[in-house]
Amino acid sequence: YDPDLHPFEVAREYTRAMNAVKMERIFARPFICGLDGHRDSVQCITKHSTQLSLLLSGSCDGEIKIWNVAQRVCQGTIPAHNGFVRGICVIPDGEAFYSVGNDKLIKRWTMNNYETPAMTIVGKHVFTSIDHHYKNPQYATSGETVSLWDEQRAQPLQTFKWGADSHVRVKFNPIETTVLASCAADRSIILYDTRQSVPLRKITLRMNSSTLAWNPLEAFVFTTANEDYNLYSFDIRYLQRPFNIHKDHVAAVTDVDYSPTGKEFVSGSYDKTIRIFPSDKGHSRDIYHTKRMQHITCVQWTSDNKYVISGSDEMCLRLWKAKASEKLGVTRNREAETLEYNEALKEKFSHFPKIKRIARQRHVPKHVYHAKREHKTIQDSQKRHEANARANSKPGSVPFVSERSKLVLEEEE
Amino acid sequence: MATRRTKKWLHVKERKSKFATRQATRSEILHVEEEGYIVPDAVDDEDERIVDLTQADIKSSVDIFSAQKRFDLQLPLYGPYHIDYTRNGRHLLLGGRKGHVAAFDWQTKKLHCELNVMEQINDVKWLHIETMYAVAQRQWTYIYDNQGVEVHCLKALDRSLHLEFLPYHFLLAATNEAGYLSYIDVSIGKKVAAYNTKIANGNGKCGTSVMCQNPSNAMIGLGHAGGVVTFWSPNQREPVVKMLAHKSTIRSVAVERTGTYMATSGVDAKLKIWDLRTYKCLNEYRTASTGASTLTFSQKNLLAASYRDIVEIYKDLYDEESSSTELPRYLVHQCPNGSSIASIAFCPYEDVLGVGHERGFVSLLVPGAGEPNFDALEANPYQTKKQRKHAEVKQLLDKIQPDMITLDNSVLSEIDRKAFVRKQEDKQKEFNFVKPKELIAKAEKKKGKIGKRLARKSQIHDAKLKEFLQQKQLKRQKTKK
Repeated sequence: YDPDLHPFEVAREYTRAMNAVKMERIFARPFICGLDGHRDSVQCITKHSTQLSLLLSGSCDGEIKIWNVAQRVCQGTIPAHNGFVRGICVIPDGEAFYSVGNDKLIKRWTMNNYETPAMTIVGKHVFTSIDHHYKNPQYATSGETVSLWDEQRAQPLQTFKWGADSHVRVKFNPIETTVLASCAADRSIILYDTRQSVPLRKITLRMNSSTLAWNPLEAFVFTTANEDYNLYSFDIRYLQRPFNIHKDHVAAVTDVDYSPTGKEFVSGSYDKTIRIFPSDKGHSRDIYHTKRMQHITCVQWTSDNKYVISGSDEMCLRLWKAKASEKLGVTRNREAETLEYNEALKEKFSHFPKIKRIARQRHVPKHVYHAKREHKTIQDSQKRHEANARANSKPGSVPFVSERSKLVLEEEE
Repeated sequence: MATRRTKKWLHVKERKSKFATRQATRSEILHVEEEGYIVPDAVDDEDERIVDLTQADIKSSVDIFSAQKRFDLQLPLYGPYHIDYTRNGRHLLLGGRKGHVAAFDWQTKKLHCELNVMEQINDVKWLHIETMYAVAQRQWTYIYDNQGVEVHCLKALDRSLHLEFLPYHFLLAATNEAGYLSYIDVSIGKKVAAYNTKIANGNGKCGTSVMCQNPSNAMIGLGHAGGVVTFWSPNQREPVVKMLAHKSTIRSVAVERTGTYMATSGVDAKLKIWDLRTYKCLNEYRTASTGASTLTFSQKNLLAASYRDIVEIYKDLYDEESSSTELPRYLVHQCPNGSSIASIAFCPYEDVLGVGHERGFVSLLVPGAGEPNFDALEANPYQTKKQRKHAEVKQLLDKIQPDMITLDNSVLSEIDRKAFVRKQEDKQKEFNFVKPKELIAKAEKKKGKIGKRLARKSQIHDAKLKEFLQQKQLKRQKTKK
């Protein structure tokens, strides 16, 4: 290879990187379709554990719909509960699924029988969510307390209690299958182990968390969606501070779900937008919004890493591409090589100002744009006050405190 | 302050780039061709000198395919001919001063078009591809299709004396009779810049026709009447570099392909070789009475110079060992009938020198002039029509914007320290709570005994490696012979 035969290497590569980034923005059309049918706002979505194309969604009028996403049709509707359907979870074999609702019932349904549930359990209090163990025939519900149930029994195996508040969400760890986490209404997050009778740890944040999601590839990482517009990623080995704060939403974050690669997650928020974050970065890499889409209640990332599904207040489920400019369908070898080359170029030249500007550019709804600006001025003024205080007092009396360490108010065992 | 993660990332990147370089060197096994020079049987033999070899001798001793490349075209009617080869060395364009233009594939002698533009022609130039060429006619510059159809009339380039085409930027540069240097982007047809290049030399002379291109950084070099050589970029009104090369008018300038050496010749009968990195004169030679009227470098750093009706080719001009003031002549050719030479050009990727003179065109064999291995993704002499079309689209997509033309190409790949410092300062002014960011400090040279030892060791290692590689190459050459 003689570099003299190829002059202007950097300039040509830079031009190609510019073209690549511009084309990415040209082809960024993430919205695929909307799934209509619910008659009230969608409350929860779950993907099927074994079948890629199946999706179960529960709405606020007690209906559960089973969708075939590949064919974009609703396979069946089940009038499941009187009141909200709060949570659905599919058992690992994929034969049956559980649903909980505002009528204090846990119902077990088999996949083909939409008339009657296979089992109904009456509970003592309203259940807010349900999650199944990744291997064993056990599941956990959250409500006033977090209870661990066995599939055969009608009484919970174990009940965990810490404080008197109700729990909003419970999630099993997919890798460390005995570990659970729940979000409680007293702004705390509690970790449990099913092998112990007492909860493990409790951390209290500044504001309430609506949900949490475990990283499917890193056993000790979970991300919570908080009402102070941020998402926090915690390492369970060191709960004193989150190792990452994800900021970009302008209203309470309502749901979060990880991609099966564990490298990214999607979050939906009350501000009518969906954002996709890389799990190690503090800001989102993409934002999805539509005029028709109102407050988002639930999001899911499909198991083939390609699509993101969102359910919102206006009774509609929407299917989006996870990578907005990805070409769906068969890509030939040469095309795939060019796409990979373009990705490499974009990464290599990512810090050049023009390229960064084009890559970052997103059209954002007006309310989000204005809200962001306002938040920025608030933050800047706070920082300025702090800087002035620091400048005008004894050096060292106003230390630099990182935002991450300010978050967790207390940790208890 | 590199965190463990960034260190790991850097480590991965370095490993990947090392792998890439190793793969690139391995792929050199695909370079099946090697250049060959004429080497004398015995060195310093006065009876047999390479210089005494005529083209007839060379033609009779090479294979028939190469012998075909030695031909004469007798076109006595239409004046001294300007010539140009396309980038892949396949097509030739002839423009006679009295208006005769001909474009043909010189290897198969297939004529694309032949026309007379009925005007004086000052220069001809191929554009990026063999379907379009530009002719600098008396009044304006025209662009023709390879069928001879006039496609554009560029009124912005009026009364041009000399044309240069920058292939990676799609810029056609032209010097004017009135002393203007204009750049036109031929892909979008817009004039990019036009600058007045008059250098005050007391007699208000008009524009110069001495022009050359530095292929490595796309600078246009002009030679002026006072012996000044200037380099221009389309981003600046003033010349980027201005150097006093000769004590009299410059007759010709040429820059070598990698942009390290420049050859200039002046009316004072001197031929000077300059190092363009330091702008110092490396060698100075005395030439025939009037100085070389045209100079051109080949891909393998042979220099061809024309003196009225003689063209001389020099080899090893910047060998450090030779300190003589005698020009190291390799080959010499005299045009028949004493017709003076108007332009010379080496054909890329071929061992051929094309000479356009008063009575036609002559194509000379110069063993060792061209690059033997072409990269088909850059310039493919054996293009099919489809490949040509695809290549044109790729070239257009990779077109570099004219504001990226700089003197030093490595600027784009280095950290912009000034901009970083300026940004920090601006931020500090706005909000005075910026946590000071550290820029990666330049790796300091290790001083002290251990540092010196390490430096010496690496030097020795490099020298040994170089020697080893040279030995290997010599061995390979010997076995080939």
